[in-house]
Amino acid sequence: MGVATAPRPVVTIPGFSTRAAAAAEPLIYVVVVLLIALTEYFAAGPIRDFGPSNFWLAFVVLAIWNGWIFPQSQTAIGSMSGQYIAMTDGTPAAMLPISIRQISRFGVLYGIPALVLDFNIVPAAMVWVLSGLFVWRSRGRRAPWDFVANTVVTDGFGSVGMIELPTLTSAADLRLDPARNRQDRIAGRAMFVAGLVSVLVSTLIVWNIFREAWEFVVADDFSWGILTGRGWFPRRGEFDIGTLFVGTLWVTGIAMFVAAPVGLGVAFYLSEYAPARVRRIIKPLIETLASVPSVVLGFFAISFITPTVLEPVFGDIAFQSILAAGVGVGILTVPIVASISEDAMRAVPRELREASYGLGGRKVTTALRVVFPAALSGISAAMIVAVSRAVGETMVVFIAAGLTGIFNLNPLDPGQTITGAMASLGAGTDEVAGVGIAFQSLYFLGALLFLLTLLLNVLSDLVVRRFRQVY
Amino acid sequence: MAIATRTVDLESIRLRRGADIRGQIFFGLLVVSVVVAFAMVGSVFWNVVDGASEIVTERFWDFLVSPSSSDPGKAGVAQGIRGSILIAAIVMMTFPIGIAAAVYLEEYAEDTWVSRLIQVTVRNLAGVPSIVYGLLGLAVFVQALRGLTGGSTVISGGITIAILVLPVVVITAAEAVRAVPASLREGAYGLGATKWEVVRTQVFPAALPGILTGMVLAVGRALGEAAPLLVIGAVAFYTTGNNDFLEQMQGAFTALPMNIANFAKEPAESWRGHAATASLVLLLLVFMVNFVAIVTRARISKKLGS
Repeated sequence: MGVATAPRPVVTIPGFSTRAAAAAEPLIYVVVVLLIALTEYFAAGPIRDFGPSNFWLAFVVLAIWNGWIFPQSQTAIGSMSGQYIAMTDGTPAAMLPISIRQISRFGVLYGIPALVLDFNIVPAAMVWVLSGLFVWRSRGRRAPWDFVANTVVTDGFGSVGMIELPTLTSAADLRLDPARNRQDRIAGRAMFVAGLVSVLVSTLIVWNIFREAWEFVVADDFSWGILTGRGWFPRRGEFDIGTLFVGTLWVTGIAMFVAAPVGLGVAFYLSEYAPARVRRIIKPLIETLASVPSVVLGFFAISFITPTVLEPVFGDIAFQSILAAGVGVGILTVPIVASISEDAMRAVPRELREASYGLGGRKVTTALRVVFPAALSGISAAMIVAVSRAVGETMVVFIAAGLTGIFNLNPLDPGQTITGAMASLGAGTDEVAGVGIAFQSLYFLGALLFLLTLLLNVLSDLVVRRFRQVY
Repeated sequence: MAIATRTVDLESIRLRRGADIRGQIFFGLLVVSVVVAFAMVGSVFWNVVDGASEIVTERFWDFLVSPSSSDPGKAGVAQGIRGSILIAAIVMMTFPIGIAAAVYLEEYAEDTWVSRLIQVTVRNLAGVPSIVYGLLGLAVFVQALRGLTGGSTVISGGITIAILVLPVVVITAAEAVRAVPASLREGAYGLGATKWEVVRTQVFPAALPGILTGMVLAVGRALGEAAPLLVIGAVAFYTTGNNDFLEQMQGAFTALPMNIANFAKEPAESWRGHAATASLVLLLLVFMVNFVAIVTRARISKKLGS
């Protein structure tokens, strides 16, 4: 697979240690950037702009430095300063990919920081220091951003390959090269840290949510009685959880009533009946539904489902209703049910079906009595995941359910769910913090929702593990 | 003595079984459910296109470049588009973390309690409802780190959504890395490469198409998410900072899905078309991202296959 890169001429500069010069590069970066920033600061007072002009200035200084030290350099700046031909065999055909690579490198290294951070000196300087460190790590070899730049932009042109191992001399050289070992250790540690980010995020979620939820429970104007009032009006101090549970149950129930039969039917059809050609067409079409943002389905619920589907059937129905929201959420969960159940059914080995046919079983018998029980763990997991998604769905409910806190058992009227209550609290004012206990109630609901969905997810894991058929 | 013979007609056996009525009913039901699913897909898109037709033919460009307004004839989604693109850009900047985490889980992690903890938390984070991430964003980025993010700004929103889609990136990238054949790694190790070199030069390029797919899924999800932004305090309607990049970063912000929710909640008929047109723009953005990824992915796979 490797595409050979043309050998590069090695240029030696008498009196210069290339390695030392490379090590000095980040320092030069930092010094130049800080010098320019400081000059501006003292000349013009506090500035918020680290604008394009400074960035060009720094770029030119560094380009000159780099081009002089490393005529054959792989670092972005050195190559940008006109040393294209030294990197290739000199044929004009190689020029295009090389220049495209330089431009893309340039974009990644300088363009993005300049574009995003040109309003503030502090993050700009941080990014520049970081890029200096990256250049230092790359030491005239391949820079990390080359992955992005090369793969996306130049690989199609063929003459600059990304997949290449350094030319090796002997195994002993390799083992003893401390730079490569160090690089390996640092990379491993960096990836471990990246892995820890997810743990950090989880800890932050749990810590913040439960801390605020606890403050809600221990607040002065809290008593357990307000959780069983007559409605959900946080700004009036009425926090009837029952109202929200009824709404959530209705929406989830209606959603599953819509999604379970349709999703299962589609899964059965795709896995047991559809010829491969038909399947290849139908499956992606139905999965496009999964990529439709939920706001679009919320809009669909009140502008299409209510007037076109529900009004002819149920007659008098409110502009926003629990029923419309439930159907909207149901449509949203159809692809989840369909694709997870279908995967489970397709995982049932062919031998089971063949044994059933061999005993005279018909297609329908095979599907319902053999495939269905064998795939039951996966299908139940699909249902639980769909319920968890329906419980946590916010935007459809926010748009279509009406969001009144009045206790309401009739799905044809507006109602409120846990997520809907959170969304309307959040959207009610841009400074939720100022409302006292109402703010904490937001976190109280968040904690409930978090626990509920966590429970469902753990349950689906357990179901899969406990009831999985071992073939 | 006559031997009683009876000819058995195979045809009659088949007929005795009767027509497979149960099978046909079952198949009929399956076809009905597929048709219903198609009707859902079709009507969702038809509803958007039909509702958008008026504005698209009359003032589509004007709609794209106008800021929010209380006048239906003037209102547009310029602020929303800008907000959504900024959020997507911030989300994309955090992709390296997700990919590195995936590589760690698949290539580096030994079976210790730490790596198991990471695995479990990633899986559970993927199931946490998006609005809960909004609470995290509100507590951490809007309030605790107000000095860095400026409060309810697009920076807070972008980072929150980046965290929200991170599990998607990690899970799909991990699957892609897992699918890289072991022979590639072994070949490189055999030549004396260090682990990092194996990852960088063999595993990563081979897994890139799959990783790219995950990134696209994540960007699509990020573009469509509105619930966390609601909690963080994205406003659906603002009149300042229309064109100033600085103000856009540090002041009030909105995003396309926020625009849609705002338009859709208006009971007046005159806003129906706005919601549909904004939905159309959002869908086009999402599909455009998908399309670019499919093309790039095809080119990379072709390149690597050769």
